[in-house]
This record gives sequence, C-alpha cells and structure tokens, in this order.
Amino acid sequence: MKRFLETGNFAVTEGAILAGCRFFAGYPITPATEIAESMSRRLPQVGGIYVQAEDECAAMHLCIGGALGGYKAMTATSGPGYILYADPYGWAIGCETPLVILNSGRVGPVSGITGAPGQGEFYLTRYPTQGGNFETICLAPNSAQEAMAMTVEAFYLSERFRTPVTVLADQLITDGFEDISVPGNEGEMKEMGFRIWPRQIHPGPLFYPATDEIDIPPVQLGHNTGALCSDWTPTEEGYDTEEVENHHRHAFRLIYKIRNHRDLISHRCQKSFLDDDPELIVVSFGTPSRVVNTAVAKARGRGQRIGSLRLINLWPFPDELFTRKAIYLVVELNWDGQLVREVQRAAPKDSAVHFLGTCGDLPTQADLEESFNKLLANQPLTRKGWTLEAW
Amino acid sequence: MDRLSSELAATYLRPRKTPSTACSGCGLGANHKIILQAVSELGLQVSDVVWGTSIGCAGRQTFATWKGDGFAGTHGRVYAIARGLRLALPAEIKLILTVGDGDAFGIGLNHLLHAARCNADMTVIVNDNLGYQSTGGQFGWTTPAGSRTDSSPYGMFEPGFMGGGLDIMNILKGAGATFLARHIARDGQAAVENMKRAILNRGFSLVHMPYPCPTNFGSTNLGTRTPVTIYRWIVERSAPLGQETADTLWATGVYLDASNSRPEFSEQVREKGQQIRRTQAA
Amino acid sequence: MKERVELVASGFGGQGVVRLGQILGQAAVKQGLHVTMLKSHGTEMRGGYVRSQVVMSPKLIDSPICESPDYFIALSLAAYKRFRDTVPPSGVILYDPAFVDALDAGLACRQLAVPAKQLSVERFNRPILANTIILGALSRHLALLDKELLLESLLAIIPKFQAENRQAFQAGYDCVH
Repeated sequence: MKRFLETGNFAVTEGAILAGCRFFAGYPITPATEIAESMSRRLPQVGGIYVQAEDECAAMHLCIGGALGGYKAMTATSGPGYILYADPYGWAIGCETPLVILNSGRVGPVSGITGAPGQGEFYLTRYPTQGGNFETICLAPNSAQEAMAMTVEAFYLSERFRTPVTVLADQLITDGFEDISVPGNEGEMKEMGFRIWPRQIHPGPLFYPATDEIDIPPVQLGHNTGALCSDWTPTEEGYDTEEVENHHRHAFRLIYKIRNHRDLISHRCQKSFLDDDPELIVVSFGTPSRVVNTAVAKARGRGQRIGSLRLINLWPFPDELFTRKAIYLVVELNWDGQLVREVQRAAPKDSAVHFLGTCGDLPTQADLEESFNKLLANQPLTRKGWTLEAW
Repeated sequence: MDRLSSELAATYLRPRKTPSTACSGCGLGANHKIILQAVSELGLQVSDVVWGTSIGCAGRQTFATWKGDGFAGTHGRVYAIARGLRLALPAEIKLILTVGDGDAFGIGLNHLLHAARCNADMTVIVNDNLGYQSTGGQFGWTTPAGSRTDSSPYGMFEPGFMGGGLDIMNILKGAGATFLARHIARDGQAAVENMKRAILNRGFSLVHMPYPCPTNFGSTNLGTRTPVTIYRWIVERSAPLGQETADTLWATGVYLDASNSRPEFSEQVREKGQQIRRTQAA
Repeated sequence: MKERVELVASGFGGQGVVRLGQILGQAAVKQGLHVTMLKSHGTEMRGGYVRSQVVMSPKLIDSPICESPDYFIALSLAAYKRFRDTVPPSGVILYDPAFVDALDAGLACRQLAVPAKQLSVERFNRPILANTIILGALSRHLALLDKELLLESLLAIIPKFQAENRQAFQAGYDCVH
C-alpha cells in the first residue's frame, strides 16, 4: 500500500487502472481535465490507449468503440460535457455496453462557474438520455479515496450489468488533495473491498434474451460471432425492429436487470447516529455530506437527537433506507432542490421533508446548526431571504 | 436496376435481410452491390470485415445485411464509434461503413473530419440520395441547387456542399483523408476497382456515391417515380473528372489517392504506446 | 495531540500558496496523519486571492473546510482582510509585513510578523525563497508536524536550490519566537 497526498483526479485514474481500464477518451473541461491528463500519462505505461476527442459526444462514442472492441473504457467530464453524453449514453444503455463515466459537478446551469462545486446533475444521472425505458446506476463518493473505490466499483457493476455507470463527484472531490492509499496488489485490493469483474466475450450471434439476468457477457465485435448492435430497438437476435412486442422485451431487460439485482448496489451508504432514535435525519451525498457529518456530530455533543444518512448509491434510488418517521433535512449543492424530491417520495407519508440548498460554497457549520435548531423547534427554514420551503 | 447476384448475396449477406427492405426502385441496392463486388474481388471473408452503418435510408437499409459482425451508430456518430473500434480491433480487420449524406456531411461532419484528420483506417461509403429521404424528403447538404423538396418548396436556395464551386471532397482532402473517390453505380467495374483501392488503403478512405430516390426526391423534385428516368437524370449530370461540363454536378473517378502516405491512426497509437512502455516504468 | 488542525494560507497567484499547502500536507502524510487540502484559485486571474485550506488529523477528516483556522498564513493584505476574522483567539496569524502593512490590532489571536520577502532578498538576493522562510517560521509553531519531516517534504517537492532552501528554512525558524 502506498500513501500519497494527491487529488481526486489522481485517485480516479489509479482506481480505473486497478479496475482494468485501458481505454480513455475525453475532452478537456474544468474540473475534470486532470483526469484526462493523468490518463494520457498513465495509460500508455500500462498498455492502454488515451484518445482526445473532438467533443464530449465523440469522447463517449470513442469509448463505445473501444468497449465494443474489448476494452474496459472510461470518460470523464463535468456538467456541460455530461449533457453532450446524452447521445452515446443512450446508445450504451440500449446496446448494453459497459462503460464508466465520471462527472465532476460544478456550478450550473450551462458553463456556470468552473472552479466551484455543484450538484446540478442528480436527476440527469437518472435520465442521462432520452426515450425512457431504462434504469441507471450512479455512485456518489464524498472523498478522493472513495472516488477511487467507487471508480473500481463502477467498472465492476458496469461489467456485470452491461451498462454505463456514472460516478458523480464534484469539483472539491476531484480537485482537492487528500491522503490517498493506493493498493499495490490483489490482496490489498481485496482488503479495501475492491471488486473486479473481467471482460468476457459475448458468444453471439444472439443479442440478449428477454431476461433480467445479469452476468451475460457484453456484445463484442471483431470475433466473427455475427454480433449485431445498433441504436434501433433490437430483436433478441439484434436485428432492428419496429415491433412493439420486441420493444417490450428489450425494455424489460434494460429496466429489470438492474431493478431485480439491487442487492448488488443499494447497500452502499453511510449512517451516523441513525440507530440512536434521531428526531431529525439529515440526508446528503458527495462533499456536502462531510460538513453535514461534522455538524451532526457537534449537534449530538449538544444533546440534539440528529442523525445523518449519506447516500453513496443514488440510482436505483435506495427507498428502503427511508423507513423511519422523522423530520428530514436534505442538504444539496443546488438551489432548486433535486434529491429532496426523491426523499419526499421515499420517506414515510407524514414525514416533514425540508431542504437546505447552496451552490458553489458548502454550507457552513453555522448554517447547519441554525437549520437544525429551527427544525427541532418547528420553525420554517429561511436563508438569504429565500423561502427554502418552496422547493 | 442491378440486382445482387445470388452468389454474392449467399456469401456475404444475411438471408433475413435479402431482399432488402428499401423502397421499390431505390438505387441503394446497386451501390451496395458495387461494394460487395469489390469485397469479393479482394477475396475478403465475412470474418475479415466489421460493418458499420449510420442512421437514415442508407444506414438503416444496410444495417445487419452483412453476415458478420455489424453495428450502427445514431445520427452522425458512427464515425466516432468506428474510430474507437479501430483502436481496439486487430489491424487486419477491415472497417466498412455504409452511411448517408445527411449523416456524413451534416450531423456527423465533425466526427467524419476528425476520423480523416487522424487517418483512421476505415472505408466510408456515403450513399447520397440527395437529401433527407427517410424523414419524408427534406433538402440536405448535397441536394442540387434549386431542388424542390418538402423543406424547400420554393427551390433550395441556400448553398450546399456540392455545386457553386464547392465540393465536399475539398473539405475531406483538407482534413487529411488519404483516399477519395466519387462514383455512380452505373460506372460499373470502374467503380468496383476504385472501391477496392479505397478498401485497400490503410487509412481513411471515402467513396461518395449519389443514387436515385424514387419515393421522395424523384417524385417531388423530378415529378417521376420511375427509377430509369431518375437515374438518367443523375447520369446526365455526371462526368468523369476532367471531362466536366457546365451542367456537371458530380465529377466521378478518383479524387485523391494518397494511399498509405500518412501514418495510420491506430498503428501510430499502438507504436507510440509500445515506445512509451519501453522507456517508462509504469 | 489536538485532534484536528486547520491551516489556511492565502495570497496572490504565483506566491506558491498551493505549493505551500502541498508541502505541509505531504509532511503530514509522511507522519501518518490524514490530510485534506483544498485549493481555491478561481479568481487569481482577476487579481483576487489564492487560498489553500489544509486540515490535518490523526482521525478521518469529515469537513475539509477551514472555518476556524488554527494557523493563518497571510501573504497579501486582501487575504488578511478576508480571513483574519475566522481565526479563533487560540489561533496564530503569520503574516509577511511586505504585503500586510495594516494590522487589525483588535484581534484576539497572536499575530506574528515573518519578514520573509525581505529576508529572502537580503540573504539570497531574490524573493523566491520567501515561501521556504514562511514554512520554517511555521514549523516553529506547528507542534503537530515534525520539523525534519517538513523540511524533507519541502526538499522533495522543490528539488531545486537544496542548500539555499535548507538555509532559508532555518532562517524562517529562527526569525520567530
């Protein structure tokens, strides 16, 4: 095990390489550019390929090409590039191509602010493309070390589920320096809980049967198996079809291969003081969860009955974590309130669900303490003159 | 209209996709035959080629016709998929893409130019039915000036990439393509020969093949659905390079043969990678 | 040992504020501590401030934000004005009087002048070693980090001018009490 003071970008790169990634295509964008840079340096050293694309849409299509040719492939971007993945993301979902995407969130909409963190793509990671009829997988680390682990995990899940997996980070995670431990061998990887799934070759010529099964090797080209893959609704043989019945079978597979195997994904979360009869549960993901955890620990010290639930697996949404009747406070790096809507849906019916938003800056300890105090005293939250209850 | 010989079809095509699902009288089949004839004369096996297709008439109608491995990209993106695939496939596997004019010269042009820039080994056959026909017949970037289409009811008046002193081939040449040709299927063996040169080039090749659409372009702009009449209209406006007249829309023949004159992309990436590994510890 | 130590360094772009944070962080990692370091330099192009926020702790670090820094290294007046009020009474501000020439006498914390730029020019004929002098001064006060480890990490991150860097580090160490 080696320890470094390095950035999340470094951690993601090393995690990808440990997971067997040997193909990266990207397009420069703050704050994910350093991943492309470190991939361009590291991949050739380990027999991999780095390509710089003409735009993000091409970057992910290049990755699709690499994956169809047998590589574990990855791309990385921020919000304005993630939206350009919409085309290839849909292709990879529909053709069931394993890929890993890292999105380092910054302040939006559009180009917004480049050098500050945001969480504006919570729902976009659920609906990264058009057309519906699919389920997605998204993992959200809150540190550089965990960004490495979740990158490894994303490769694992993408192989088993034959689908693109997004690691949703933010600017503070990717740009920030932390002490990072990098495992040096398989034993150390196991010790750190890293799971690896090898790329297997689809035997062809059938595309995929109408089943919710996972662990079917993904389609690969160049092995003369007669494999077919396209943007069209496929028959089970991979031919393009206009038959609604075929579409039903295809959509069933895309949705239920993920929904019916949630046990492989959904257990990932971090609970603090949740079993200690909390009156108020603070829900968050990514970097904000770190200031939340500090604030919740302080509040416990003051005798307030508060717990923290930090989500790591965002999609499929872990409804089963929201069984407790309590006051919920959802802390997000956006002003419009995204995660809070899912919490409202998943929480027991008569729970009060509140929202504390900010963007670009993390909420301060004072912000959080004030919110805790108000909610425990049944007072409405207001901040910077906005009625935040209006989400 | 030329029909695929049963022998070519039996060797290379999936029975499920023959005969094709294209409209009656569509000229795409004749283009397809030229390509398969070239593949056959080169002695390529089904396992030697991975076939990619685009969106639109040319893409959809040729998707999954090839007996071997095949893929299709969504609008304009197949060139980027193919470029990634080129890096992953063994060098001896040929990548042949059958695509349409809207896909290649409109929505996918940037990706196409970047595939040409890095001279990625692939042969792109742009089957040009002179506009967006699968969506009902709108003008495109190769539609002849003045044509009446469903989206140019007063005649197409904005410039396209063909005519008025422009030729899409100039752009592709400037971008770094190493083999460029234009043919109509009527060119027969001459087209087959140049198709072979395109496939043999270890780099980016593109063959532009205008063909008649009876259903939309023919009926709306020329007032006829008769394939022979539409074909004659195309033939009359084609001439071998160097023999163009004032009426020529499509100069045919080899526009550029710089085969194997520039490093091929995947080869370059592989060689550089090996060199880096030799000199740098991981 | 104090569980969590927060340090903010801030100044202009090009003063090596991020480098300084890296050197500290690297030394802390060598010492087996957990470290986070955030760099903000979105505004440097417009003449704003650059800031490193370093948190060091024997335990896993939750918040990487320095809301109440134990140490604040002020290398510009703008940075000093912006962050001085976050320093608690137990904290220490180390400032370079070449840049911070108007002190707020009302602060409860200790404020120590480190004439780094001036010392660097006097001893080494150029201002480039000011950062190393600051680090030396800091090491006198930062009980958490081993002085030798800090120097070692400095020399590893800045491989040039090793002899001068050693001298400058010691000069910094000696100039504050």
